[in-house]
Amino acid sequence: MALRAACAAVCRRWRQELGNLSVNGSKSSTAQTGGLLLTSVRWAPLSRLHIDVPKDLTKPTITTSDEPDTLYKRLSILVKAHDKAVLDSYEYFAVLAAKELGISINVHEPPRKIERFTLLKSVHIFKKHRVQYEMRTLYRCFELKHLTGCTANVYLEYIQRNLPEGVAMEVTKTQIQQLPEHIKKPMWEALTEEKEESKS
Amino acid sequence: MALSASVRRLGVGMLSCSRELPCAWRALHTSAVCAKNRAARVRVAKGDKPVSYEEAHAPHHIAHRKGWLSLHTGNLDGEDHAAERTLEDVFLRKFMLGTFPGCLADQIVLKRRANQVDICAVVLRQLPAHKFYFLVGYSETLLSHFYKCPVRLHLQTVPSKVVYKYI
Repeated sequence: MALRAACAAVCRRWRQELGNLSVNGSKSSTAQTGGLLLTSVRWAPLSRLHIDVPKDLTKPTITTSDEPDTLYKRLSILVKAHDKAVLDSYEYFAVLAAKELGISINVHEPPRKIERFTLLKSVHIFKKHRVQYEMRTLYRCFELKHLTGCTANVYLEYIQRNLPEGVAMEVTKTQIQQLPEHIKKPMWEALTEEKEESKS
Repeated sequence: MALSASVRRLGVGMLSCSRELPCAWRALHTSAVCAKNRAARVRVAKGDKPVSYEEAHAPHHIAHRKGWLSLHTGNLDGEDHAAERTLEDVFLRKFMLGTFPGCLADQIVLKRRANQVDICAVVLRQLPAHKFYFLVGYSETLLSHFYKCPVRLHLQTVPSKVVYKYI
């Protein structure tokens, strides 16, 4: 289905480009090439053609509701990778995005973890000759303070859509909530009141 | 191969006589040899063997002079499904080797982002362009249906294999 739509889109583009060619009056070039008219047209490779699904224009993108927005005291994003250069570049990107949205951000680098194991080099005997392998995991932690739910969702979606390959992310959210009604007053006050009522 | 075949025959012979006399049947399990000191290394020749950058460097140069050929989160600390990713990688490399016969200039780079797989290959100009386009569409559709996730192929053509040095 998607391929058919892609082919249709490509056909439309070819027709447009062919139309442009004829408008420009490149009749001489077509006469020379003869049947090889299509070589003058720029090829749009099919693999890079990704159909943009048209968004529903009837649905509004901005929604309002009467419920109060959730508040986050702290958003802790831990990013793991094998490559330090990738983490550095991603940190620059995340900090830039946070600054654009006006979120206060702190970055620190937790110490790396190396998992090592030693194996025998040979299939049979040769115990003295071994080979060692290791897997290094490097970390970077972004701490965002005092966000609303909407801001957090937007920021996280942007960050996650642009996560590089081979990089893993863990998000920890600390939410601020109103104290529930039944905890606001201490219980022993209510008990003493009941005792007084029962006595009287 | 001959050893395993002979072992199987022995086993069968043992089974046939085991009807009269009950006895244990022992077999030998053989697997391919994995020589770790020769892995991913091109052996030094007389100086006439052209070798690409990827082939010229041994595996202990990964993360120092080389990058990774397969990028996924399976091998990170606290992450799982590394074995499934490795199996998929092996299949994808074999598939690409077979679909583009004699056209691949270097090893394929596999990138996994969210649920999609990006296969990046450097290709020699052995086949005409329309055949390349067909093969790209065919492999993308087939692999997407096989793995139930979007699979994209990115090709870069090169006139001949890029030589780093002659070993």
